Amino acid sequence: MATSNPRKKTIFLVRLMVIITTGYFILFSPSAGRGFEIYGYIFITVYLLTNLIVAYIPEKFFYDDKIFYGFVLCDSILLPAGIYFSGYVGSDLYLMFFFIISLTTISSRFGYLMINTVLFSVIYGWLLYEKGLLTGPEAVSYLIQIPFIIVIATFYGYLITTRLKDKDIRIHEVRERYEQIVQATDVLMCIVDHDGKFLFANQKLVKCYEYQDEKSLSGLTISQLHNEDEAEAEKSLNYVRSVYQNNDMAQYESYDKNHGVWFSHTLSPIRDPSTGGVFAVCIISKNITDRIEKEKKLNDTVELLIKTRDQLIQKDKMAALGRLASGIAHEIRNPLEIIYMGVDYLENNIPDDNPHIRESTEKIFNAVNRADNIIKNILSFSRQSEYKITQIPLCPLLDTVLTLAEQMIQKNGVSIQREYDNKLLEVAGDYNMLQQVFLNLVNNAVDAMKDSKEKILTIRAYKQLVTEVGYKTGYRRADFFSIGDEMIVVEISDTGKGIPEDALPKIFEPFFTTKTVNEGTGLGLSIAHMIMDRLSGTIDVESRENQGTTFFIKLQPTCKMTDVKEV
Amino acid sequence: MPKNIKVLIIDDEVDFCYFVKKNLMKDELFDVIIATNGQDGIDLAKNEEPDIILLDLFMPDMPGEDVADALKENTATADIPILFVTALASNDDIVDNEENKIGNNYILPKPIRTKKLIETIMKILSKP
Repeated sequence: MATSNPRKKTIFLVRLMVIITTGYFILFSPSAGRGFEIYGYIFITVYLLTNLIVAYIPEKFFYDDKIFYGFVLCDSILLPAGIYFSGYVGSDLYLMFFFIISLTTISSRFGYLMINTVLFSVIYGWLLYEKGLLTGPEAVSYLIQIPFIIVIATFYGYLITTRLKDKDIRIHEVRERYEQIVQATDVLMCIVDHDGKFLFANQKLVKCYEYQDEKSLSGLTISQLHNEDEAEAEKSLNYVRSVYQNNDMAQYESYDKNHGVWFSHTLSPIRDPSTGGVFAVCIISKNITDRIEKEKKLNDTVELLIKTRDQLIQKDKMAALGRLASGIAHEIRNPLEIIYMGVDYLENNIPDDNPHIRESTEKIFNAVNRADNIIKNILSFSRQSEYKITQIPLCPLLDTVLTLAEQMIQKNGVSIQREYDNKLLEVAGDYNMLQQVFLNLVNNAVDAMKDSKEKILTIRAYKQLVTEVGYKTGYRRADFFSIGDEMIVVEISDTGKGIPEDALPKIFEPFFTTKTVNEGTGLGLSIAHMIMDRLSGTIDVESRENQGTTFFIKLQPTCKMTDVKEV
Repeated sequence: MPKNIKVLIIDDEVDFCYFVKKNLMKDELFDVIIATNGQDGIDLAKNEEPDIILLDLFMPDMPGEDVADALKENTATADIPILFVTALASNDDIVDNEENKIGNNYILPKPIRTKKLIETIMKILSKP
């Protein structure tokens, strides 16, 4: 029976052995010719027929150990049956037979088994000789027992060793596969005991920490890997202990300073199969730097998006408010005009001897003027106007602004620091608009320092490379400033009371003011913001309470667009 | 003083006209006539031949600019100087303008104080 299955082959070999042995005894039986052979022949025939059945049993059943060894045992018992049927009955031979089977079963090496068998055969032969059985009429039948023993032992020895080899190969294959997985994987893998001592580490881990091989890690503990970072060493040990205590998995992330790498560690308990207790911990560490970096980038982007969205909402709100306000302003101005003219008329007709009425009309005039001022601001905030963008020498412009504000600056005892990087700096902008923005900021700064001990107004002007993405700054076409471009920055910095943190996001909103009613309309900064938008520039603020406020005005160094633009 | 200065006010705000008239008439130097819409203003200008016209830039029926154009087209009224009054002008640009002029037209932003109005009218009329 040709078959590729070594187990099925083994069964057929066993059966062949039984047939050969039975035939051997029939031919060389001491009782040959006494009519016993007929049973022996029947046995062989029946046995050959059962082989046909075995041949049709599907191969996969032989992989079930119970079936396989059942067959081996069954055939081992059938062999003595064959001997019996062949008419060769001798109790000492049976003892021999079972002795050989037990010997082969416990033997793991074919060589030792053969030495044992030869020694045994010699002793057995000597015993036969001593008993005088090797002489006389039945000498031949006793003599043939010795080659029989050797043949049986050889056969069983062969059987056992092939079985063991088969098993060895399979164990080796499984081992190799696990080894391949553990060594080829991209993660750092190790097994440690209760004290964090390495029991095993894969190549990746060994290489990562620059050891020569796995053996050089023996005796070291996991905390020694982080020899320069005590907190990290302590953390890793604590997690190992917690896995022992809780008999459950643990997971944590850490930053390896030496490698500049983020790791995610998964600690799993390795349990004793009989008690269920933890006897080692398997640690798998995965490099997650990419993920962390991507997360960080994503967070930054989300933050920027939120900021941009807020600014867009703000801009939208301002535009809507501007439209609404200009509508209202226009409608209010006419009745205001009538009041104005009316009061003017009354004033011109007051009898000279009534100063009270004159005082009253003066107050009305002031109130109307105030209302009118607000309206003027609103209209300039929202009106459509033409402006001209030209190259403007920045420092003379800043000096002019300081001259315009001189009276106020001196009155408040503010000292001025000019820190111009380069006297020849130029910006692209509309002269009047820029003057309005700077004058407004200078006025605000002086106002903010009214109650301060130290009153220093610092004006800086310098050129800067755009490096960070921000509002209207980045890589998009619509951005005012592209990364890598140059921009001109003007800083207007005071040592005043600062802006409260909750007010900071609102300062560019129209009508937001912290000043009293008579001091400001709350439109100055929103106009400044709007102007900067028109000039393709930005305005930012940084402020610390009781330390001061700095405004950053970022401007285009050269004209980018057409000179005159309708808005 | 041979003759009073005749001023025509064209403005849709009736009460504004009323007070301007009151304020100007107080000096007994001015005669004031009032039109509360553009068309009336054009007709009055033709009939009354005022020395100067105070014209509101923004009126619902007819913008001040169109009224001015119509006045310039008519030979009878073409030479009458026009002083625009407007509520829409904002802060700086016009106020600081010494000439009170935009193009060929004079302009005075609201709010107007009588003193300033009279000054401006006199200045315009004193020019050849």
